[in-house]
Amino acid sequence: MSGPSVRTIGPALALLLAATCAHAALPGAPLNVRAEDVEEDDRGTQLLVSWQAPEEIPDVPAASASYQIRCARLGMPAEPGPVVPIGETQSRLDGLKPWPWRPYEITVATRYDPPQAMILALNTVFGAEAPYALIESRPCGPVQPVGEWFRYDYTNILVLVIVISSIVLLTIYTVRGRAEEIYIRPIAGLEAVNDAVGRATEMGKPMVYVSGLSGIGDIATIASMLILGHLSRRAAAYETDIIVPCNDPMVMVAEREIVRQAYSEAGKPDAYRPENIWFVTDSQFGYVAAVDGIMVRERPAACFYMGYFFAEALILAETGNQTGAIQIAGTDADTQLPFFITACDYTLMGEELYAASAYLSRQPLLVAQLRGQDVAKAIIAAILIVGVAAATYAAIFESGWLAEKAAGFVAWFVA
Amino acid sequence: MRLQIPLAITFLIGLFMAVQFFVPHEVFQYSFESLLAWVRIVGAFALVLGIGSLLRTHWDKIRRRRRDWPYSIVTIVSFLAMCVIGIGFGHEPGTVFYWVFENIQVPLDATMFSLLAFFIASAAFRTFRARSTEATLLLVAAVVVMLGRVPSALIVSFGDTAVGHYLHANMPDVSEWIMNFPTVAGKRGIIFGVALGAIATALRVILGIERSHLGGGGGGGQ
Repeated sequence: MSGPSVRTIGPALALLLAATCAHAALPGAPLNVRAEDVEEDDRGTQLLVSWQAPEEIPDVPAASASYQIRCARLGMPAEPGPVVPIGETQSRLDGLKPWPWRPYEITVATRYDPPQAMILALNTVFGAEAPYALIESRPCGPVQPVGEWFRYDYTNILVLVIVISSIVLLTIYTVRGRAEEIYIRPIAGLEAVNDAVGRATEMGKPMVYVSGLSGIGDIATIASMLILGHLSRRAAAYETDIIVPCNDPMVMVAEREIVRQAYSEAGKPDAYRPENIWFVTDSQFGYVAAVDGIMVRERPAACFYMGYFFAEALILAETGNQTGAIQIAGTDADTQLPFFITACDYTLMGEELYAASAYLSRQPLLVAQLRGQDVAKAIIAAILIVGVAAATYAAIFESGWLAEKAAGFVAWFVA
Repeated sequence: MRLQIPLAITFLIGLFMAVQFFVPHEVFQYSFESLLAWVRIVGAFALVLGIGSLLRTHWDKIRRRRRDWPYSIVTIVSFLAMCVIGIGFGHEPGTVFYWVFENIQVPLDATMFSLLAFFIASAAFRTFRARSTEATLLLVAAVVVMLGRVPSALIVSFGDTAVGHYLHANMPDVSEWIMNFPTVAGKRGIIFGVALGAIATALRVILGIERSHLGGGGGGGQ
């Protein structure tokens, strides 16, 4: 098999390699290099580099030509960017940084590589990178991508978050003085918490608390940990054991601290048993097997499932049901709610999980916040009714000023 | 200070996390990704604590000869064995670690998961007993949905047709209607409540109104 050898293209490559040292535009270098911001790149990490092909590309025997983009942050050495086929005259440069990082200088070079067979041979035999030659253009810059400071397509979300947050905060501010007068709908599942602790105390058996399988970053886990704080305070007062097998080590660390604090506040720091709160495994079904085993062996008087759950919800709840424990669940996972409703004695549905802390503590600020949530809910209900009317009107009367406004109103929320 | 510093950190990070959602600029996204990396780093330290707690719990059980203590030996031996073969010989496909994972851990996981089918049957039996009007409605809806969606055993001969189709031609449509309208309406109601509850909970944690996780009796209103 005959093919080009190092001897054939060596001098040509060496010649061209020497040429890369010069900064002036050489014959064969790309012309008019320009770099501009990519409009759809909100993050500000991309530039669109374009150039004009050189009038004549020198013919180097047995070498293949392409373009190589090179990019240097001001005052730093240049780094190689993407390699572009010879027929193209623009390319996107990614992974850059906008202001306040330093701007860039961009060059585009005509690149000559030895044949593929030689690259492969050099790589495999000598473990060396094949030599290539560059004829560089004049540098373009300083230039920098521009990032957006606001996600305009999220305007509706921002407005609603601000409105709802303002309502909640305003209600807290105005109602906190008379929070005792606020009526809170009785939530059977939370009323039963005291019964569950009492039952466990009378039976001399522990309680099992499962705080879901999502990590510490999930708001449902945080709500669950708040409930655990209240529950442990009561468990400490009655000196009842609470077993907390954890699926996430970070949750375990936080829950240990919460329970330890609760026992201290209840004046029973010696009754706190850290060995009752431990990390089991982060494997979903490994965790289920362990918790099921604990329930079957310990026969707890009460089981609590609070947080976000996946397919394990029913396995846990059914096992708890078979052991005869009183079971209270709370989750915002709408797909698992039916399973908990079926297998548990009481279930906190969706928002009730978040209201539990206020309900159990009856702190004025927390209770006032519940009122704020209700006001926000009433506003959302009103928007829904108006939205349904607007969508119906827009569908029936397709044209006209009012129909356009109605369609626009619906579209603003849907976008 | 013991309370103020965690509250200040919660406030600043909480505020940043809320703001970064609306700001696509690299400054914010880079900081956000760095914070996530920090979470992973802290998580790695927490994992050490977690493993420590696991070993301590089981060791204590063995030492005190508590009930079912031999199972704790199995746990500790399995844990140490996996550590040794994983760290010592790698965990890529073809290694002992990989073989153990594929042939012991995965089948055990699958076994636990398959229990779900039996638990669904027992739970459905309890739920669908027609003891009240609501339970009867639930039973009827469930039967219609099941018959309207479950493929027929005759699928090979007659194509992808639901069982219910043979009882009444419109049953699959009724089933779809139940799933697409009443069910979705109920779900959306729950989701609205969840979203509001999540915002309110986030607000009270970020603003320090809720402090029960830091100790102090529950709310900040005292």
